[in-house]
Amino acid sequence: MTARAAAWVLASALALMAASGRLVDSPPPERQHPDYVYAPPMPLRVRDDGGWRAPFVYPVRLVDRLERRYVVDRATPVDVRWFAKGTLLSLASGDGAPWFVLGTDTLGRDVFARLLRGARFSLGVAALAAATALLIGTAAGAAAGFVRGPLDAILMRTADFILALPAIYVVLTLRAALPLVLTSGQVFWVMVLVFAGAGWPLVARGVRGVVLTEAAREYAESARAIGASRTRILLRHLLPATRGLLLTHATLLVPAFILAEATLSFAGLGFGEPVPSWGLMLQDASRGRALVEAPWLLTPALAIATVVLLLNVAGRTRRTPDRPWLSRS
Amino acid sequence: MLVAAAVAVALYVGWSRVDRAGSPAGAGAADSRPSRGGQLVASLRTEPPTYNRYSPAGAVAATEIVSLLTQAKLVRVNRATDELEPWLASEWTAAADGRAYTLRLREGVVFSDGQPFSSADVLFSLRAAYDPVVNSPLRAALLVRGRPLEVSAPDSHVVVVSFPEPFAPGLRLLDHLPILPRHRLGGALEAGTFNNQWLPSGALSDLAGLGPFVLVEHAAGQRLVFDRNPHYFRRDARGLQLPYLDRLIVALAPDQSTETLRLEAGEVDLLANGEIRPQDYAALKARAAEGSIALLDVGIGLDPDFLSFNLRSARQADPRAAWLLRKEFRQAIACGVDRDAIVNTVYLGAAVPLHGPISPGNRTWFSEAAPKHPYDPGRARQLLTGLGLTDRDGDGMLEDARGIPARFSIVTQAGHIRERVAAVIQEQVRQHGIGVDIAALDPGGIFQRWSAGDYDAIYFGLQASSTDPAMNPELWLSSGAFHFWNPRQSTPATDWEARVDALMAEQATARDLAARQRAFAEVQRILGEELPSIYFVAPRVTIATSRRVANPITAAQVPQLLWSADTLAVRR
Amino acid sequence: MPTGLLRFLLRRVASALVLVFVVSSSALVLLRLAPGDAISGFDVDPVQAARERERLGLDRPLLAQYASWLGRAVRLDFGESLKYRRPVGDLVRDRALNTLVLGVAALALATLLGVPAGVLTATRHGVIRAAARGISLLLLSLPPLVTSFGLLIVAASTGWLPVGGFGIVGGWSDATAVRYLILPALALALPLAASIERLQSQAMTRALEEPCVHAARARGCSPERAIWRHAFPLSLGPVISIYGVMVGTVLSGSFAVELVTSWPGLGALMYEALVARDLYLAAGCATVGAALLAAGVFLADVALALLDPRVAGTA
Repeated sequence: MTARAAAWVLASALALMAASGRLVDSPPPERQHPDYVYAPPMPLRVRDDGGWRAPFVYPVRLVDRLERRYVVDRATPVDVRWFAKGTLLSLASGDGAPWFVLGTDTLGRDVFARLLRGARFSLGVAALAAATALLIGTAAGAAAGFVRGPLDAILMRTADFILALPAIYVVLTLRAALPLVLTSGQVFWVMVLVFAGAGWPLVARGVRGVVLTEAAREYAESARAIGASRTRILLRHLLPATRGLLLTHATLLVPAFILAEATLSFAGLGFGEPVPSWGLMLQDASRGRALVEAPWLLTPALAIATVVLLLNVAGRTRRTPDRPWLSRS
Repeated sequence: MLVAAAVAVALYVGWSRVDRAGSPAGAGAADSRPSRGGQLVASLRTEPPTYNRYSPAGAVAATEIVSLLTQAKLVRVNRATDELEPWLASEWTAAADGRAYTLRLREGVVFSDGQPFSSADVLFSLRAAYDPVVNSPLRAALLVRGRPLEVSAPDSHVVVVSFPEPFAPGLRLLDHLPILPRHRLGGALEAGTFNNQWLPSGALSDLAGLGPFVLVEHAAGQRLVFDRNPHYFRRDARGLQLPYLDRLIVALAPDQSTETLRLEAGEVDLLANGEIRPQDYAALKARAAEGSIALLDVGIGLDPDFLSFNLRSARQADPRAAWLLRKEFRQAIACGVDRDAIVNTVYLGAAVPLHGPISPGNRTWFSEAAPKHPYDPGRARQLLTGLGLTDRDGDGMLEDARGIPARFSIVTQAGHIRERVAAVIQEQVRQHGIGVDIAALDPGGIFQRWSAGDYDAIYFGLQASSTDPAMNPELWLSSGAFHFWNPRQSTPATDWEARVDALMAEQATARDLAARQRAFAEVQRILGEELPSIYFVAPRVTIATSRRVANPITAAQVPQLLWSADTLAVRR
Repeated sequence: MPTGLLRFLLRRVASALVLVFVVSSSALVLLRLAPGDAISGFDVDPVQAARERERLGLDRPLLAQYASWLGRAVRLDFGESLKYRRPVGDLVRDRALNTLVLGVAALALATLLGVPAGVLTATRHGVIRAAARGISLLLLSLPPLVTSFGLLIVAASTGWLPVGGFGIVGGWSDATAVRYLILPALALALPLAASIERLQSQAMTRALEEPCVHAARARGCSPERAIWRHAFPLSLGPVISIYGVMVGTVLSGSFAVELVTSWPGLGALMYEALVARDLYLAAGCATVGAALLAAGVFLADVALALLDPRVAGTA
C-alpha cells in the first residue's frame, strides 16, 4: 500500500469517527464535571506493575482543587469492555465514573468528545472556505497574470488592499451589523464567506506569479508560436503548473482558517459556547498556562497538524521523481 | 549552521541575564520595621488619559491610581479597618444636629512644589467638584440627595462643612475629595479651561499635590514613574518621614496573563488590581513555596458579578415577555443553577455561594436573613411549568403555549472569568430545558447593548466606590444611572422599586446604625424575592506580591495594596 | 536604468500611495461605523459624554468628519488620541520604529530558519526531513497566541529571557534593550519560518525537476552544486514573491505578538486603539501600517523584478 492510499484510509477512518462519535464511551461534549476540572488524560493501558494484562484504565482522583492536583489511582484498575453501551470501548466499573481519554478542559468537559464533535464544525468551515478561496484566487490570479494590463493592476491592488485591511475592523463592523445571537448554521456561512474573502488574495498573488513565469517559458512560447489559442494555453499549459502551489496554499489555508475561527469566536462572531470547535478549544488553552500545566488541552493543535499532514500526503498527485543523487548521507 | 548559530546567540544572551530581580529574601527576614529607600514596580492594565481626577475623562482606574499616589484627602476611610481616619484634617467636631462638622487642618503642610496648603485649597477643590462647566465625575458622590454640601473657612486652617440634611455616613463623603492646589489650577477654573489642565500632552512640572509621590515620567502605554514627594506630611510611628519608597514604577501591561507572568519572572513586584485568577494559583503557589512570591489572602471580594435581566418597559413588546419578564422565571434560574458547580468549576473552590447583592465580605451590611436560593431542580421545573413552559415537541427543551422556545441570550465579557461563569450557567439551565445563547463582547460592545436596552440578560459586575450603600445611590435608587435592570426611571416602575427607594432614603438618613442596617436588610429581602439581578458567587480574593514587598497593608477593595502606598517598603 | 524598469517603479510607487490612502480612509470609516466610541462607558455620564464628543468633533456626520481628518492627514497631522490625550503623530512615531525593528528582525530570523529548512525538506529524506516537516506543521497549526504564550511561559519559568519589560526599563535608552527583542521576534518568526519552509520546499521540488538542473547533473555537477548553484536560484522566485505578502503577515501578526510579549510597537498600539475605539489613533496607526506595508511590498516587487526582468517589462 502506498503512503497515499494509507493517508486516504486514515482520513476516511478519522472522518467516520468524527461523524459517528461512538468510539469510546465518552460523556457528552457539553457536560461539565465540577470534580474533574483540568483532569489529566486516562490512557488505555496494557501493562501494570505485575506485567502484561487485558486493556484497562487507572481512574484519577482529585486531591487539591485549587492547585489542580490529581492522583492516578493505581490500586483500582478498571477493565475495559468491548462493544458494550453501544460503543467500541467502555469502562467496566459499576460506579459510572466517566472516562476522560484525553483529560478534561478548564470547565471539566471531556476533551476527546469535544475534539470529535468539533471536527465537524472546524473542518467543515475550513475546508469549504479554503476551497472557495482557492477557486476565487486561481481565477483572479490566472486572469491577472494572463490578461495583464489594467485588469492585472486592479486585481492585484484589490488583493493588496484586502491583505492590508486590518481584519478586526471588518469583524467589528460585521458584528455590529449582524444580530446579537446567531445560530450555529448562520455562523458557519458567515465564517466561510469572511475567510474566503480574506484568503483569496494570497492565492491570487501566487498563481499570478506562476502564470507570469510560465508564460515566458519556452514551451508556452512555442505553443503560442504553433498557434494555440490563448484559452488553450492557459488551461492546458499554465494552470496545471499551479497545481503544486495550490496544494501548498491549501495546506496553509486550512490550518489558518481553523485558527482564524478561534479569533472570530473571541470577537463574538464565531461559534459560541458550548459548540466545541477546535479554534474555541485552542483559544481556551491559550488563556491558561496549558503548554506547561495541561498539555492535553493542546490536542486540537495536534489534530490540525494531522489533518494538514494528511492533506499533504493524500493530495500528492504524482510520485516524486527519482532523484537518487539527492539521497546522499 | 546559521540556524544553530542564531539559537546559540539567543541562548547566550538569555543566559547572561540570570540575576533575577525577584530573588528571595534570606530566611531571617526578621526586621519587621520597614526602612526607607528602594523602588518597587507595580503593574496596571489601564492608561491615564488625564492626571486630573476631577475631569470627566478622569473617571478611570488609572487616573484614580495617579490621584491616590500624588494627592491627599481631608479624611481617609481606612480600607483595611473601614474606620474614618484623620488625614489632612487632624481632628474634627460634629454639631449637635449631626449636620455640621468643624475640621481643623494640619499645620505646616506644603504641596510638592513647596507652596503652603490652607483652607483656601479645600474651598477651591469643592468648588471645582461642583462646577457645572467642569461637570466632574466626583460631583455625584459629593451630593446628599441631589444637594451640595455647604463649606466655609473661618480661618486659614479651619473648615466648616454642613450637610443639607442628616446624612448617616457623614464625613466619609470627603474620602472622595482629593485636595487640589488652588495656586496651580485656580486661574484655569475661572477661565473655564480646568479640564484641559494636567493632560499627558502638557508638562509634568505643572502637577502639584499633597500625596506621597510626584509623577516624573509617563511613557504612553509603557510606564509611569513616581518619585518620593520630599514635602509629604505623614510620618510613621518612629517619626520617619513617609513614603518609605524612593520610587514607585507603574508598569502598564496589556492583560492579566502578562501581569502574572511578569510577576512570576520578578519583573513586577505587585499588581495594582491584585486579585489573582484561580487558574494561576497553582503556578504562583509553587513560586511561593520556592520563596520568590508571597500570597496574601484578603478575604471575600466585595463587588460580586450578577446576572441582570433587562426589565425596561419597552421589553413588554417581546413575544417572550409573558414568561421572560416574570419573577418566577428568574426564581427558577436562581434555584436551578448549582452555585457549587460554579465555585468548583470556574473558581476551583476559591469562592463562596452568594444569594444577594451584598457579599459576606461586607460585614456591616450583609444580611444573613435575606432569601437564599439553594439548588433545587424540582422547584425550578415546577416554577417553569407554572409559567406554561413545557416540552411540547419532545426535543428535551421547553416551549411556551405558542410554541416559542424557552430561550434567552446572556451578554457577557469576552475573555473574562465572567464568560466562563456564563458557560456554567448555560449548561446548568440547559438541564432544565432552558436554552441560553452566550454573546461574549468587549466592554464597549456590552455598554452599547446595555445603554440601548438591546439585550435579554447581562452577566457583568460593577465596582462600588464604598462599602456603605448610602454612598452608591446611582446603584440602588430607581432614578440612578446604574440601576442596572432599568436605569434612570422618572418614577419607580414597580411598587417594590418604590419601596426600595424609600428604604434607601431611610438607610441614608437614620442616625442609628441598627436602624440603618434594618432598612437595608429589608432592601436585601425585597431584591432576594424579586431577583432583578441574580447573584451566584463571591470570589475569595488572594493577591500575590514579590518577596521584595515589605509592610503590605491589604484591603479587599481595589486597589488592594496601593490604597496605602506611602507605607509600602522594600524588604532588605 | 532601462525605461521599462523605471516605469515599473513609478507605477508601483503610485499604487503604494493609493494603498495607503485607501487603507487609512477605510480604517477611519469602518471604525466610525463600528459600535461604541472612546467616550461612552459604564462610568461615564451620558451628558458628559455628549459634551466630550462635541469638543472632539465626533458628533459630526461621517463625511464631514472624514473630510476634515483627510485635510489634516495630508499635512501629516493625524489629530489627537482620545485615549492617551496626546498627538497621534508623536505616539505613532516611536511605536512604528519599534515595529520596524521587530518586523525586520522577525523576517530575517524567519528567512534564516525557513529557507534552509525548506531546502532540507525538499532534498533530503529520512529522520531530519520528517522532523523539520513535523515541526513546521505543528507551528502552522498553533495559533500565534499559543506560540507566544508558550515562549513567554518558558521564558518566565526558566529566567532565560525577560518577559516583556521593555516598557518598564524605559525603552532603547537602556543598554540591555536588545535582549527584550529576542522573545517577540522569535514568536513572530516561528510561524513565518514554517510558511517559508513549506513554500521553499515546494519551490525547490519544482526547481529540481527543471531541465537545466538535470542538465547540470548530466554535465557532472556535484549534488551540492546542482542544488545551490542551479536549483536554489530558480526556487527563489516564488518565495520572494511571497515576501510582499509576508510584510502584511508580519504587520497583522505583530498584533497578537506585540500584545502578548508587551513589545511597544504599532500593532499593540493599534490593538489598544481598537479596543478603546480611539478613532484618530487607529486611523493614524493604519496609515503608518499601510505605509510600512506598501514599502515592504514595493521592495519585494523590486527584488522580484531585478531577479526576473521579464516581470518588470510588462507589468
